[in-house]
Amino acid sequence: MYRITKDIKRFSTILILIGVVAISYGFFQSLTATSDDEIKYTVKKIANELDLKLKVKLENEKYNDVGYWMDENDEVIIKTGDKSKYEDGTKVVITEINTDGEGGYSFSTKKDKKVDYSELIYKVEKKLNCSIDSSHIHSVEDVIYSAKHYFHAKSQRVWSSLLISTLFFLMISVAATLWWALQYVAQAGWSALLLRVPMAITSFIPYGAFILIFILVTGGIHWHHTFHWMAEGINDPLDPYYDEIIANKSAYLNIPFFMSRSFIYLLGWMFFAYLLKKYSLKEDVYGGGHSMKWYNKSFKVSVLFVLFLGVTSSSAGWDWIMSIDTHWFSTLFSWYALASFFVSACAFIAIITIYLMYSGYFKELNNSHMHDFGRYLLAFSIFWTYLWFAQYMLIWYSNIPEEVAYYQERYEYYYPMIIITLLINFITPFLLLMKRSSKRSKGQLLFVACLIVLGHYFDVFLMITPGTMHDHWHLGFIEIGTFLGFLGLFVLIVFRNLSKHQLIQKNHPMIGESEHHEIHIH
Amino acid sequence: MENKVIYGLYGDDDHVLAATKKIVSKGYRVNEVYSPYPVHGLDTAMGLNYSRLAITSFMYGLLGFGLITLLMWFIMISDWPMIIGGKPNFSYGQALPAFIPVTFEATVFCAAHLMVITFLFRCGLFPGSSSRNPDPRTTDDKFLMEVSESDPKKITEIKKIMKECGAEEVNVKNSVKELMDEIDGELSKKNKVSKRRKVKKSNSSFLTNIINKIKRK
Amino acid sequence: MYRSPVREPLITGNKDLHDITVDIARPIETSANKWWWSLFIVSAIAMLWGFGCIAYTIGTGVGVWGLNNTIGWAWDITNFVWWVGIGHAGTLISAVLLLFRQNWRLSINRTSEAMTIFAVMQAGLFPLIHMGRLWVGFWVFPLPNQYGPLWVNFNSPLLWDVFAISTYFSVSLVFWYMGLIPDFAMIRDRAIKPITKKIYSFLSFGWSGRAKHWQRHEVMSLVLAGLCTPLVLSVHSIVSMDFATSVIPGWHTTIFPPYFVAGAIFGGFAMCQTLLLIARKVVNLEDYITMTHIEYMNIIILVTGSIVGCAYITELFIAWYSGVEFEQYAFLNRATGPYWWAYWAMMTCNVISPQLMWFKKLRRNILFTFIIALFVHIGMWFERFVIIVTSLHRDFLPSSWSMFSPTFVDLGIFIGTIGFFLVLFLIYARTFPVIAQAELKTIVKTKSSKYNKNKNGE
Repeated sequence: MYRITKDIKRFSTILILIGVVAISYGFFQSLTATSDDEIKYTVKKIANELDLKLKVKLENEKYNDVGYWMDENDEVIIKTGDKSKYEDGTKVVITEINTDGEGGYSFSTKKDKKVDYSELIYKVEKKLNCSIDSSHIHSVEDVIYSAKHYFHAKSQRVWSSLLISTLFFLMISVAATLWWALQYVAQAGWSALLLRVPMAITSFIPYGAFILIFILVTGGIHWHHTFHWMAEGINDPLDPYYDEIIANKSAYLNIPFFMSRSFIYLLGWMFFAYLLKKYSLKEDVYGGGHSMKWYNKSFKVSVLFVLFLGVTSSSAGWDWIMSIDTHWFSTLFSWYALASFFVSACAFIAIITIYLMYSGYFKELNNSHMHDFGRYLLAFSIFWTYLWFAQYMLIWYSNIPEEVAYYQERYEYYYPMIIITLLINFITPFLLLMKRSSKRSKGQLLFVACLIVLGHYFDVFLMITPGTMHDHWHLGFIEIGTFLGFLGLFVLIVFRNLSKHQLIQKNHPMIGESEHHEIHIH
Repeated sequence: MENKVIYGLYGDDDHVLAATKKIVSKGYRVNEVYSPYPVHGLDTAMGLNYSRLAITSFMYGLLGFGLITLLMWFIMISDWPMIIGGKPNFSYGQALPAFIPVTFEATVFCAAHLMVITFLFRCGLFPGSSSRNPDPRTTDDKFLMEVSESDPKKITEIKKIMKECGAEEVNVKNSVKELMDEIDGELSKKNKVSKRRKVKKSNSSFLTNIINKIKRK
Repeated sequence: MYRSPVREPLITGNKDLHDITVDIARPIETSANKWWWSLFIVSAIAMLWGFGCIAYTIGTGVGVWGLNNTIGWAWDITNFVWWVGIGHAGTLISAVLLLFRQNWRLSINRTSEAMTIFAVMQAGLFPLIHMGRLWVGFWVFPLPNQYGPLWVNFNSPLLWDVFAISTYFSVSLVFWYMGLIPDFAMIRDRAIKPITKKIYSFLSFGWSGRAKHWQRHEVMSLVLAGLCTPLVLSVHSIVSMDFATSVIPGWHTTIFPPYFVAGAIFGGFAMCQTLLLIARKVVNLEDYITMTHIEYMNIIILVTGSIVGCAYITELFIAWYSGVEFEQYAFLNRATGPYWWAYWAMMTCNVISPQLMWFKKLRRNILFTFIIALFVHIGMWFERFVIIVTSLHRDFLPSSWSMFSPTFVDLGIFIGTIGFFLVLFLIYARTFPVIAQAELKTIVKTKSSKYNKNKNGE
């Protein structure tokens, strides 16, 4: 029987407090973000002071792009004196057109004076306390847009970080249930001693589910638009925010259907986790001897759960993560996300088991059990990398605009993060767990498992943040604090649950095999 | 004193393992155990070092990784760079995703094949090799233990331990060759007999006959 | 070793070590019966017909196939992918199940690996004859040549395939052969005829079963298994990339790599079932390939069939969800266009029929298992046909829409490969130890019904 220690309680309470502070600070930031009207008013006021026109219009502007300066009969249709514009907004006047005698033309231009917005940007930044990316500014409207974007991201930040941490820990609990169920489905013998660990982790599902529902419902009532398609008017052709692509998806992406789906997934998972737990506890009391009743029941529930999760994990992935980048789609996405959560769940089970071993429990476990954890972590890290690569490479290779935009954004603004994620999630487990002796060493396994958890937090971060925060992303106090807060909550709930029941279940028919578990060859 | 070889024949892997442990604990060295399948724990009991084949495989994998990277860099980037499918090949990193599948395959190719060649080389296995197990029954269901000793007293002790641990037969020979010749003689005799009688499909009875003959001795 | 009472014995018929030796050596030491010969002759005729069709193709040109401008790839690539897929179960059984410590693999891994190797040989034929000029087939390798710096293109998934298939084939072959060495040694030690003895001595590489050799052998097997596991995944993934890297609607889907792998395992296990169900009867291996083995394989067929079904539905859903008109049409055309029958044959055989395996009675029924396995072969062939032909036959230009009909040459080559495959398999079944007896002997004490009885409920 395990008893939760004061240290754990203290540790997790501190983490929860950090989380509460971070989330409160995030909400404070979110609520105090400057409103759209105020931004418009301020920028206009400063622009007027600087004598900048709101919209710079070119008179007699024929062509937006100097690339098109011949008609279908190969006649030059640009005259000297025509005004045109480069892509970066630099206005030009054609001064001379020359032919090269072989059907090609070249032209000379005299550059117009480019309007200088740097002073406006500087003043707006100072006044509103924001940052504006000057490389995309070609008009005063752009300054307003950019400032709005900044504040939208600012008010969005706390919701994104909440969603990341909620999904991360919720889905890890669900994946731990999957891990648990798979031990029954596969009739695994080695793990029978430590099945109470995934059982304790499943107890986090209701808490995670509650927070997730809070995020989804507040999105539904337009407190925030983490899910872009929830925005008002996006499906209305008469609305300025109308988005045809999203409107075409509204048969699936609409709030009532979305909410009911979410409820079905969460209630279903909780129901199966409850049954598994119930049978496992009943087996302690009523099992034993040659009675296989409770084991067989657990087996059946596990099969049904795996089947249910097989379907719902796919659609939950589309709903909760993929629909953030509403335009984008990828058939592989949900499997890839599940692989990420599954390997993190393996890592958490390993971490908790090793922690308990260090604190003097689980004396029956030996190196071979560690070896199996090492294999799990190594194999599923490679599997995750395989799926990551399959999705990335196919999209990179085909280079179809509607798909590649997803990685374009990530490459432009999140490049170092992607590299770090791949390094942590693939290279480190691959190199550190390759050797037999390292798989069998508790300390090394613990280190790699912690790295994997961190790496997959980054992975989930990369799934969500680019769709909600775009270029204005942070990995600062709010994100880290929220993560730590959730970690504290998770640890507290899991360990409290561990101390409620026998740490090692009795009467499981495989216990004997687990006690005698030994990997002879490597 | 002349060096003798003591052979203990066992019918159970637990017996041979127990015998090995006991003989080693008395300070003798078990030269060899011939078995029809790998007996777990036997290598440690005999004091064999851990095999380093896995490490060589890793090295070979690295070699394959390096070679194929060099080859692809030379072909695609250095020798004749082209723009393929809108993707330029001016540097290796530009088209890196397209190189990963082949890199993986070549790494596995080298790691697997070179390791197998190392294995065959280290064990002296090659097609046409004349080496074999002294007693043909050790590929069927018997385990043959071989201990060298010259001191007659110690020989008796070893024989005793072998018998205690469940050996079915214990023989002392001057060399491996003696044992093999003896068995070969039995075999050829048996073959002649079976040819004369035109027994084509006598399988199971054949080896039992040898065993019985040896036992009768 | 401790064994939980839940586990069923994997070797029935009260076998001990010597019984295994005798049972496995029997097909080699006896001569073939009429059934074997009649099946062999039929397969050999099919094979020869196939060789004739291949010769005709090479002599005349690929124009003798039913291809046209719109459908430039049809039966050749369909058959290729079908055979490569079948060639997946063997290495999966011996490598992945070894890592998962599934002891039931031991009775079936040898035969399924043989099947893998023979299937990959059939698959390899298609890209070769597809080139038209077989004798320049070596051009697919990066060799220096007289044309100056004219190299192969490492950006092309077709070249990845060359590397993947050749690595997979050679590593599987070596993995298989290394496992065979101790078993050949066993046959050698039992051989009576000098010729047989010579042949098996040659094949067994002088194996003697020394402790150090076994130790190295085990390390090597484990490392090979570790290498083969990602290799199995990579091969069919790379085959899928032949299609998925393109921009053709119906081909370009990111789920292709894992879904092709699942499909390959699905089809491969079905072929395993087909061959093993026959083999266990013909060479009397009922005690080794038990109902438990058949049931486990059926469960894998059920699981992979469901994964494939999930992938079909995901593809359909995302095609709609994407909002891309072409993507939507490609899938609508699959299900309701002129090739609807192929699509629904695929759906019925691959998704619906394996679901019957949920019933324990059905999955422990040999005849039923056999029929479902045949269904899976048909379904998996149609899956590739649907992906390849229906995606191509209506391209972006409606004026070039077309249909495909195979010629007798297409059919002949396909049937010829089935014949060739069976010829190889039948020869194997009479000359090779069809069960990895050395490995199997390691579990006799824990899994044979002889020793199990008294250890039950320990």
